[in-house]
Amino acid sequence: MSATVSKPSFWRPLRRILAEPLGAFGIALVVVMLGSAIFAELLASADPARISPRDRFQAPSWEHLLGTDHLGRDLFARVLHGGQIALSVALGATLASLVIGIVLGLIAGFGPRWLDNLLILMFDAIKSFPTVMLALALVTLFGPSLTAVVVVVVLVNVPGYARIIRTQTMALKSAEFITAAESMGASTARILRMHILPNVIGPLLILASMDIPVVIAIEAGMSFLGLGVRPPTPSWGAILNDGFTAIRDTPWIAVAGGLPIILTTLGFTFLGETLRDVFDPRLKGRG
Amino acid sequence: MIGYALKRLGLAVVIVSVAMLLLFSMIYLIPGDPAAVALGPRATDAMREALRVKMGLDQPVWVQFWNFFTGAWTGDLGREVLSDRPVAEVVLEQLPFTLALIAGGMIWSIALGIPLGAWAAVRRGSLADRLVGVLSVAVIAVPSFVIAIYALLIFSVSLQWLPAIGAGEAGNIGDQLSHLILPSLAVGLGWVGYIARMVRASMLEVLEASHIRTARAFGLPERMITYRYALSIAILPTVTLLGVGIGQMLSSAVFAEIVFARPGVGKLVYDAILTRNYPLVSGAVLVTTVLFVLINLLADLIVGALDPRVRNRL
Amino acid sequence: MTVLSIKDLSVSFATEAGTFHALKNVSFDVPERSIVGIVGESGSGKSTLINSILGLLADNGTIDRGSITFEGQELTRLDAQAMRDLRGPRISSVFQDPMGALNPVLSVGRQMRNIQYRDDASAAAKDKRSADMLDAVRIPDPAAALSRFPHEFSGGMKQRIAIAMALMMRPGLLIADEPTTALDATLEVVTLDLLKELQEQVGCSVLFISHHLGVIAKLCDEVAVMYHGEVVERGATDQVFGAPSHGYTRRLLECDPANQHVRTRRLPTMHDEPGSFTPVPVPSLPERPADTEPLLKIRDAEVTFRTGPMFRRKSLKGVGGVSFDLHAGETIGLVGESGSGKTTLARAAARLQALSGGQISFEGRPVHALSPRALQPLRRDIAMMFQDPIGSLSPRMKVGALVAEPFRIHRIEGVNLRKETERLLSQVGLGPEFADRFPHQLSGGQARRVGVARAIALGPKLIIADEPTAGLDVSVQGEVLNLLNDLRERLGLAMIFITHNLHVVRHVADRIAVMYLGKFVEMGETDRIFAAPEHDYTKKLLSANLAGPGVSA
Repeated sequence: MSATVSKPSFWRPLRRILAEPLGAFGIALVVVMLGSAIFAELLASADPARISPRDRFQAPSWEHLLGTDHLGRDLFARVLHGGQIALSVALGATLASLVIGIVLGLIAGFGPRWLDNLLILMFDAIKSFPTVMLALALVTLFGPSLTAVVVVVVLVNVPGYARIIRTQTMALKSAEFITAAESMGASTARILRMHILPNVIGPLLILASMDIPVVIAIEAGMSFLGLGVRPPTPSWGAILNDGFTAIRDTPWIAVAGGLPIILTTLGFTFLGETLRDVFDPRLKGRG
Repeated sequence: MIGYALKRLGLAVVIVSVAMLLLFSMIYLIPGDPAAVALGPRATDAMREALRVKMGLDQPVWVQFWNFFTGAWTGDLGREVLSDRPVAEVVLEQLPFTLALIAGGMIWSIALGIPLGAWAAVRRGSLADRLVGVLSVAVIAVPSFVIAIYALLIFSVSLQWLPAIGAGEAGNIGDQLSHLILPSLAVGLGWVGYIARMVRASMLEVLEASHIRTARAFGLPERMITYRYALSIAILPTVTLLGVGIGQMLSSAVFAEIVFARPGVGKLVYDAILTRNYPLVSGAVLVTTVLFVLINLLADLIVGALDPRVRNRL
Repeated sequence: MTVLSIKDLSVSFATEAGTFHALKNVSFDVPERSIVGIVGESGSGKSTLINSILGLLADNGTIDRGSITFEGQELTRLDAQAMRDLRGPRISSVFQDPMGALNPVLSVGRQMRNIQYRDDASAAAKDKRSADMLDAVRIPDPAAALSRFPHEFSGGMKQRIAIAMALMMRPGLLIADEPTTALDATLEVVTLDLLKELQEQVGCSVLFISHHLGVIAKLCDEVAVMYHGEVVERGATDQVFGAPSHGYTRRLLECDPANQHVRTRRLPTMHDEPGSFTPVPVPSLPERPADTEPLLKIRDAEVTFRTGPMFRRKSLKGVGGVSFDLHAGETIGLVGESGSGKTTLARAAARLQALSGGQISFEGRPVHALSPRALQPLRRDIAMMFQDPIGSLSPRMKVGALVAEPFRIHRIEGVNLRKETERLLSQVGLGPEFADRFPHQLSGGQARRVGVARAIALGPKLIIADEPTAGLDVSVQGEVLNLLNDLRERLGLAMIFITHNLHVVRHVADRIAVMYLGKFVEMGETDRIFAAPEHDYTKKLLSANLAGPGVSA
């Protein structure tokens, strides 16, 4: 029972993901949400910021697929443009957390003991703030803005990522192949780059892809509280808040704001789950 | 065991202290003069100066931090700006509502999550197992505030089964419970999924372990193996996770309190931010943080009590 | 009377790659009150055989044909419940891994009480019986031991507790699956003696699975030899090992380094025609002038570790004052059991471990005082090989890159890496096609060869080999030893050869140093150590290293 030879290729993994019903469903959702965000201008002819008091609170119709809000803005256009914000924040903030997390994790795992203890203490202290409380406290510092959202995401993600890299690095540090590299005279930088990073980055990327829904939730949640993007920029959370204010009379606004959040988080989660099952079954069940 | 508990407690104190330091530097770094911000644009210079002295802002940084630090450890979180009441008093007044909400969420997630996970693990690979898998992933993925709003929309607005606003009449337990059902479900639903998944995964892992094989080789009945040998180990990671879970539920509670217009710490902080009542913000954040650290400490101690191996490590 | 009788048993597994026949027409009997050994190398089907008897085959495995009769009952037709009723009281087992065999969160007493769940006796009576059983396996203070947890016992004690649990219900048959493989040699002998004693006391039969011929020869009345899922030979142990009739058995016996009682430069391998082997005499070391500067000079080397939790650190002596010289082209064998400090000493010699006292010098250079920069040339002169053949290879690098790694680390220009890699691989007997494989696609023996190729890449003067044959099947051990002997002669290498296995080191080392608790208790010429050991510990170690059975060359 020898393992199959894995040639690095883009299509093989994609085929394996598509072979799983859940993975195919996830990819379909992600592609639809990404596509509708990228081509928002083409798909929705209306201007998401155009206020038109005459058209206030219109129920969904052919003209306004998802209806209009309290300022008469077209909700379909707002949802699509909101996707641009949500997805760019999600991808950008995740990337930033990954880079910072990897660097700090390697330092903690391979560096001197006191530095490790200090970093771990910082991570534990940051993690001891409940996420929303951290966000609320930070907003008092930055004021409501996208920057605040990105900082919150980075603060929430980095301790976890750095810890994974640290634990794995420490587990590998005493592995024989690392000692072997040391005995051949390899420098610390080379050991980290050639022998440790390739072995620890895979699980982290999978976990990060599974965290994208969390990031989307943070952005939408903060915008829902009015602490994220400033109006009139469209955001799913802000739409949801508009809908919540008018939930008794015009429930479709809340539906329009919630639906893209549900579809996107489900899509990325199903995709991430399948990625993990296919490529790293050992991670199964980890928070 | 006592040594282990003391070590854990010491670590918790250090973590809370560092968290205080972070919180203080955050407040200190807020752009602009807190006194000016609090009083608004129409205040006179004299009024600002008076408030600055009262808030201790005229003193050097380290004195301010020392006052904040020692004050916090003795329960003095300062006075809030609007009504001039002690922050600690205001926060503690709201805390029981939030705790009830989290306890409700916890009950939902444990009562549904552990049996679902164990049930799925024993039926590994079956349709039921796959269904539990997909459902738990789905409820984890969807943010709790979306669940809260949709629950409000469906059960309160459309079906009108359950009340939508407030925490219920004081003293009327039944009324309070019916007001708790929807918000606590919104808070706990994600964790039903987490716990189910966690229990299933660690259950499967434990069932593969060689001591389970030994137990089978001694012919122990399958029920004893599943529940006494496997589940007792499989719930250990879940107990550690419950600490993290309560932290996330604290976050979800903020949304649930706003959506269902319930009193509670989350709503308190949110309103405080809107009114720029910063001492109240930092006080409430600190209280929830301490609460969270305490719960994690408790979870660690429970794991230590259940798993004899842990006690020997730190 | 026969306790267990297996006839024409065939078992197959459905895998992604197709049907895999794990057992083919296996037949043998276990008579009453006897110990029957099953011997075979990895992949011979031993584990499948046990799982078939216990009714614990994996879901994708099926019994295609044949019968398993236990005490007159046909097991292959028994339902799960009836099978469960047999396991424990009638058929019991002990497995290889003493660390994982006991439930970590239940006390020993609770686990032993659970095993007696079918009895109506009171809890106190059950505990009494458990304590008696623990006493029988020589666990000190058995009553107190009941309330302790598995992690509080040493590996050898855990395995004895597992044996106590297995024999507590006085089963008719005990299946022991490599129960002593994870233990040190001296502990192994003690455990085997205990097992034999208890078997006679309880009056059960034992089916004993092992890859270790010496253990089987010591313990078993009868033996069955398995190869690729078949029983190729069976009979009384003396007869099978004394006059083997099947070619595989003869090769297996001959290839075991323990069976070569005369030092030989070349060991027989599975490819040799059985019986054709004659030992190759070991050339004695050339006389060298008395004032020759040794290659490696170790004086009073000490290594201390600080372990334990914060504030309660304890100092632990890993190596406590060791001195020896090693000359160019010479090989010294470091022998000792786990925890004796032999690996620590070797790591200190390569400066992978700091010294807390003493000096080590290599060609006159003080190894432990060199700056990191001055250390680099030393890294080219001293190469190391590590215990785990696969684990010492970086898992995400291909063999080609692994062998080329030393050239890249030391930035050696003007070498055609591709060609150089192929040359090195061919030196260790691997074809160029191996360059494209990942470590997990190699067998243990192949991975070991890659490790050798990497070690000799930059033409070192000294190779430190830490248990280079551990975990390899007997038949592969000989091949690896031949390769090492070959290379060190051809390249004039000096070598430090670390092992717990005296029979292996005998054919490689010119001198042997026996380590115990961080010190050398004895050092001398290899033949002298075997012929006339002086120290008690050396004698104990020699008698514990069970000699290979039968067949003289």
